[in-house]
Amino acid sequence: MIFLALAEMLRAKARFGLVISAIAMLIFLILFQQSLQAGLLTSFVGAIRNQSAPVLVYTVDGQRVIQGSVVTPDLEAAVRADPAVAAAGRIGQGTFTVRADGERFDTSIIGFESPALGAPTSLLRGRLPELGEVVASEASAASGFDLGEVVTVEPGGYTLTVVGLARDVQLNAGPTLFTPYDSYVEAVRSVNPDAGDPLPNVLGVSPVLGTSDEQLAATLNEISLDIDALPRNVAADETPGVAQVRQSFQVIFLLYGLVIPCVTGLFFLIITFQKSRALTLLHAIGASSSRLVGSLLVQALAVVTFGFAIGVALYTPVSSQRLGGIPLRFETEAVIVWGVVLLVLGLGSSLVAARRVLAIEPASAASGGSGR
Amino acid sequence: MITSSPALEMNEVRKVYSVAETEVVALADASLTVAQDEIVALVGPSGSGKTTLCSIAGGILSPSEGTVTVGGEDITGYDRRRLTRFRRERVGFVFQSVNLVPFLNARENLLIVDEFGRRERREAKLRADRLLEELGLSDRAANLPGQLSGGQRQRVAIGRALMNQPSLVMFDEPTSSLDTELGSQVMELIRTEMKSRGTSAIVVTHDDRITHFCDRTVGIVDGVLAA
Ligand SMILES: Nc1ncnc2c1ncn2[C@@H]1O[C@H](COP(=O)(O)OP(=O)(O)OP(=O)(O)O)[C@@H](O)[C@H]1O
Ligand SMILES: [Mg+2]
Repeated sequence: MIFLALAEMLRAKARFGLVISAIAMLIFLILFQQSLQAGLLTSFVGAIRNQSAPVLVYTVDGQRVIQGSVVTPDLEAAVRADPAVAAAGRIGQGTFTVRADGERFDTSIIGFESPALGAPTSLLRGRLPELGEVVASEASAASGFDLGEVVTVEPGGYTLTVVGLARDVQLNAGPTLFTPYDSYVEAVRSVNPDAGDPLPNVLGVSPVLGTSDEQLAATLNEISLDIDALPRNVAADETPGVAQVRQSFQVIFLLYGLVIPCVTGLFFLIITFQKSRALTLLHAIGASSSRLVGSLLVQALAVVTFGFAIGVALYTPVSSQRLGGIPLRFETEAVIVWGVVLLVLGLGSSLVAARRVLAIEPASAASGGSGR
Repeated sequence: MITSSPALEMNEVRKVYSVAETEVVALADASLTVAQDEIVALVGPSGSGKTTLCSIAGGILSPSEGTVTVGGEDITGYDRRRLTRFRRERVGFVFQSVNLVPFLNARENLLIVDEFGRRERREAKLRADRLLEELGLSDRAANLPGQLSGGQRQRVAIGRALMNQPSLVMFDEPTSSLDTELGSQVMELIRTEMKSRGTSAIVVTHDDRITHFCDRTVGIVDGVLAA
């Protein structure tokens, strides 16, 4: 009954156009917010996700904020001595005022002792830094942190040269610079000459062969009540605020998930009501209920497919934009997942209308509304 | 089709509707035989059971009692699915009220019949175009029902009823919405179409003036048939 389904759609273009637009709009908004969520989280904790240390050791009083954590020498010694630890390296992080291209930015500087334990893994261009050099977050390249540019830590005037750009390595949504640990210490001292030898904020550690990241974290947490060891991705997800952002978006997505079947379900229910006389007639002259339901499903499929295609078409150009400093990205996985969700919800909700089609009594075609 | 059997044989058919604990006997022990090639006029006052009889004869409604045989096929015990199939393949209907799908044009209203079962496509198209021509609607084939006059709509409905090449067609007050002259034209058309195909028909009417287009008249009052 594709013929019937398509003929109706062609003769009621405005009506079907409206519902297709509504679905396209919903899909666009959903995907846009998926990109926004991903961009937001990446700009807050990308530096943790995309650095090389598989396990990060915080202290408990840091509450899973790198800058708030301070690893004392005895804790550091205890960690380094643990047989499950293959290698450990200091990581220091601070927020500095950095001048780039004549402007001042609140900038995170992350110092790593060993390139295998805290250096960025998503290098796009350039190389890893030597003393006095940095890899900068690519998102801030245009603000004066591009390859070859020299930036100044204020006050004190310590200069750093950008020798590499890495993708998705921001911390706290600002420019983020990775530098060798000693350069980081220099930066701290240039700002505060009395600082002496700053303690590392966290330790990057890797497990010995045969031990997983999770096992290592668990082992290290046994050493002392002050230690809070977390695998890399857990550390990123457990950063204060991340879970809340996720939750807020999840509520939004849930609401969209409810709106979609309402839109499609109601639409098909209404048009089924409106054409119930035609459906009754068709059933009375020999169209089986299953054919009529089939025609309904063909329409539901068409509406969902067109709506989705238009939604994705709208989303594609927007997904490569930057929103208030947050770089957005085309979220392929979200597109696929929402495509499936839409298909299931769209077809599923139209089954309510299908039940009405199945309940049609052919006899009412003969008697129904003899309008005289 | 078994050629020797009559187009319709209704035997002691009873139809009782129960509405809110009261029972309405719409059809009381009706027995009616329509021979092949015969056009029977069914005349009676409003509410006498004419539509009910047509519905039962055409497999739209199941009788409470009695048997119904159409072209030798006993449809009395058929379930929903088999009845649907029977309607699709064996009978044609022109209903009292709604007859056309509003979002299909005249030609599509005929062609849709071909979509219900095994499709013939090419033959169906040829048949639809021939019917439209016979019914004088060739130049209105692309019009939607809303763009047709009442008489034209009725003619499209007649064409639609003949699309599945039925052996029996029920016309439920085909001329009620038309003026006398147009009504006669449509009846003339029905007679021509039936006789040229050797198809049997029941034509329901209030109107004694159009019964002479039929071979035989059967009266019905309060669900009781009287020849
Ligand atoms: N679905 C139904 N439920 C209950 N009673 C019904 C139903 N359909 C018809 N009836 C009753 O059955 C009787 C016969 O109805 P039917 O429609 O067959 O009459 P009719 O002869 O076609 O009338 P008209 O000329 O007005 O179309 C009427 O009394 C009617 O009220
Ligand atoms: Mg009637």
